Amino acid sequence: MKYSYNWLKKLSGTKKSPRELADLLTMRAFEFEDMKTEGKETQMEFSILPNRGHDALSHIGMAREICACEGRKFPPTLNVGSVPPRLNVGKIKVEIRDTKICPRYSGAVLENIRVGASPKWMQNRLLACGVKPINNIVDITNYVMLETGQPLHAFDESKTTGNIIVRKAKKGEKIKLLDEKIYELKENNLVIADSEKALALAGVMGGFDSSITSKTTSIILESANFNSTSIRKARAAHNIITESSHRFEREIDPNLAETGMNRAIELLKEFCGKSVEVTAFADTYPKKVKPWRIKLDINYANSLLGENIPISKIKNILINLGIKPLGNLVSKWDVEIPTRRIDLKSQEDLVEEIGRVYGYENIKEQSPMVEVKTPPQNVKRDFENKLRDILIGLGFSEVMNYSFYGADDIAKCNLKIEDHIEVSNALSLDQQYLRRNLVTNLLKNINLNLKNFPKVQIFEIGKKFRNNKGNFAEYDHLAGALVDSLTKETPFFELKGKIEALLLNLGYQNVKFEALTNSEIKFWHQNRTAKLLIDNQEFGKVGEINPRILENYGIKKRVAVFGIKISILLEMKLPEKQYHLISKFPVVERDLSMFIGKNTKYADIVSNIQKNGGNLVKDVGLFDIFEKEGEKSLALRLKIGSNAKTLTSEEIDAVMKKIIFALEKDLKVRVRK
Amino acid sequence: MPEKEIKDIGNSFFEEISKLSDERALYAVKVKYVGRNGILTKILKNLKNISSEQRKLIGPLANNLRQEIENAFEKRKKELSEQIDWEKEKLDVTLPGKKVEIGRLHPITSVYREIEKIFSSMGFEIVEGPELETDWYNFTSLNFPFDHPARDMQDTFWVKSPKEKMVLRTHTSPVQVRYMEKRKPPFRIIVPGRVYRNEATDAAHEHTLHQFEALVVGNDINVGNFKHIAKQFFSAFFGKNIDIRLRPSFFPFTEPSFEFDISCTVCGGKKCPSCKNAGWLEIGGAGMVNQNVFVSAGYPRNKYQGFAWGFGIERLAMMKYKIDDIRWFESGDLRFIKQF
Repeated sequence: MKYSYNWLKKLSGTKKSPRELADLLTMRAFEFEDMKTEGKETQMEFSILPNRGHDALSHIGMAREICACEGRKFPPTLNVGSVPPRLNVGKIKVEIRDTKICPRYSGAVLENIRVGASPKWMQNRLLACGVKPINNIVDITNYVMLETGQPLHAFDESKTTGNIIVRKAKKGEKIKLLDEKIYELKENNLVIADSEKALALAGVMGGFDSSITSKTTSIILESANFNSTSIRKARAAHNIITESSHRFEREIDPNLAETGMNRAIELLKEFCGKSVEVTAFADTYPKKVKPWRIKLDINYANSLLGENIPISKIKNILINLGIKPLGNLVSKWDVEIPTRRIDLKSQEDLVEEIGRVYGYENIKEQSPMVEVKTPPQNVKRDFENKLRDILIGLGFSEVMNYSFYGADDIAKCNLKIEDHIEVSNALSLDQQYLRRNLVTNLLKNINLNLKNFPKVQIFEIGKKFRNNKGNFAEYDHLAGALVDSLTKETPFFELKGKIEALLLNLGYQNVKFEALTNSEIKFWHQNRTAKLLIDNQEFGKVGEINPRILENYGIKKRVAVFGIKISILLEMKLPEKQYHLISKFPVVERDLSMFIGKNTKYADIVSNIQKNGGNLVKDVGLFDIFEKEGEKSLALRLKIGSNAKTLTSEEIDAVMKKIIFALEKDLKVRVRK
Repeated sequence: MPEKEIKDIGNSFFEEISKLSDERALYAVKVKYVGRNGILTKILKNLKNISSEQRKLIGPLANNLRQEIENAFEKRKKELSEQIDWEKEKLDVTLPGKKVEIGRLHPITSVYREIEKIFSSMGFEIVEGPELETDWYNFTSLNFPFDHPARDMQDTFWVKSPKEKMVLRTHTSPVQVRYMEKRKPPFRIIVPGRVYRNEATDAAHEHTLHQFEALVVGNDINVGNFKHIAKQFFSAFFGKNIDIRLRPSFFPFTEPSFEFDISCTVCGGKKCPSCKNAGWLEIGGAGMVNQNVFVSAGYPRNKYQGFAWGFGIERLAMMKYKIDDIRWFESGDLRFIKQF
């Protein structure tokens, strides 16, 4: 809120300069935002905490705060709104249809009003607070609001049927408000109406038709209290924020309505014509709010703050804030809370008041007394960090993507909408669903980065979200992608090699790659994708992206991706590492070239060789592969040796013969001799 | 005298060849001494013209020297032929290294690691929780009233759920209650994680953010303890002495609540452009755990005391690396990531 420095100075009696005041309040109460000086007036803006809108969105409230922070009592010299309360008199009738959303409504009819300009000093204060002067009536309602915090409204009495009904809007009811726009009201909107029509959107903005004009001679002055939630909903529904709604939605003390009303009448009588008279008054306030009590344990307050604040000091802090300690003051007190401090409900709320006014900077830093022990490790997070470190060593950079994508992506990636969790209030259509996989957004990264880099290797570790017929689940996932525009070869084998290196580095030695079956295709290339398995448990996939999907994203290069379910891999048992004897006897290399059938798998050839060669086969490696006239040719290099002796060439030939015989018989390969 | 003459011839030969560095010059020197008209050759040729007494004396000396010269020549020749040609070996060591692929960590990960390292060293446990969270854990259990503005559609992403109301968590604080439901104080934990806010993005705003929070609960944890631990942490993080300043604030799940500032990491509080001449940098929120939160977690009211504090990782990373636009973090753009 924007405050007038002169006004605050007058009310509080502070001797501090605006700068000093800004520093003091920032540390003790509210953050100082900005300052502007024009002529004699200085405007000071403070950001009032949401739980202090009850009392501090006013010059009186702020002046009281200044006094408390300076260690003084609020000067009792100020005596606004001290006109004694009137009984319900005259012709005005107020009917509240729902006292839950309107706890109090007081209305006064004032006659013999002369509309004109307000006094210059008042206009200057309004301007200092950023409020435009309009005429004496409107200016007085604004002035009183800025002074006391109570929003007020004045209706031209002649434009009403003379009575007030506080009710909910009717279906389809329309009203033209002061901003000259016509609003169609919602059924839960609270309106101030007369017998015929809505006069105002309660607590938010007055109606245009009943507004004060230069011809106005009698007014109905409203000083009321409205439920904060109802006001917030109404102003949000119609997208209007006013000084009035700003205060009501933070909840105001209903007792303040009286102060505001009395103060306004006082000023109206003084500045709106000599013979202004209150001819009618009604105050409906069925459930009067009274001060309440909180028990405060001084030892607890000091324990929570970590400071030994003397009892006398605590007492003064509370009293200066208008909070009354009752009874004999040993260490457990009853304190009475003024009704304007709606925020003070618990003992801790009082500890906060004590702490902040005492000054948090006066609280000494102290090491907590804690048990010395090593904390449990976060195994999953450590594992993820290990994955990151290995992947970086393998050339992958880490990206972080949004957890969202759109229906368009779901279609482009061959996924199903119903498997996704939908955001009710998405920022845009392309962020309407929670990602069910990390790959979709990685493809967008690929597209972006190929513009700047010929080879892109990226990975992400993050959550993916699944909707399984209304059952929601989230998983920790690792996914990565590789594309190399400098080569025409498939990126599959380079990526597979890196995944093998990753898993080996983690200690998994028994990883199997199995071709994908049709039911799991989604965005994968149906003939270039492998499942990753350990002990027949699948934990991920590596493969190319279906070229049609790449086309959907405008990617012209083949892309290989992998995905690993982190929690599953983490739960896999790592094989114990064991030393194997390093043979003292020589190992010889023998090459084996063969033509193989289209559907013969390399993995089957290797296991066949190992089965038939037994433990004399130390290693099998592929060193060449080509296709010629529709036939596929493989060249393998075998390492043959024994741990027990040096093999003779006859023994080696014999084992090779056995291997070749088995390959030709079992797998129908044609070994080139 | 002739003996000395022969000795001098030998010495000067040995000296000459020791200075030579190529074979051709070596050969020339050999010729100079033992060639057809070499210095030593002349003496040998002249032997027949001298007295037999002298010949007996000089002859063996000259012949020995000749042999020594031949040997020395061969030895030196071998040395020279095996010598490395350093000129030929010369490389421009400023030429680039052979390209090896190495990836980069996301800067958010790097900042998280630094934070976690510091807290782990102070005995904090690292705890995580779900990003898709129930209304209860995200709001109600943390003492947010039912009509709190944060529950508005403008601030929070809600998802269409056929069962209980669910949100993308707006902060890491739901993990407080989740953790306390299973553990009894005393404990000290930190919670890193991704959070979501329903707001349009620009250079200073993101809807997807990374947060970090600490929670310490015991029988008598107090504001002074918070100041101490915050000071320890930030001094370690920035590698210099950092002061902490608390200002009053309001959060539903803490009471008292603070905004906390740290002394400017550039000027140390002397006021400079980095801190907009304030001497302080606003970092995050903190407070003493509201007793209602303890009650939500199943603890008795007023049995324990604790503090909670949190801040955004993006802000720290932006300070540390001088990043000007928050949207880079979730851009997936390697031009950005490869800088870290």
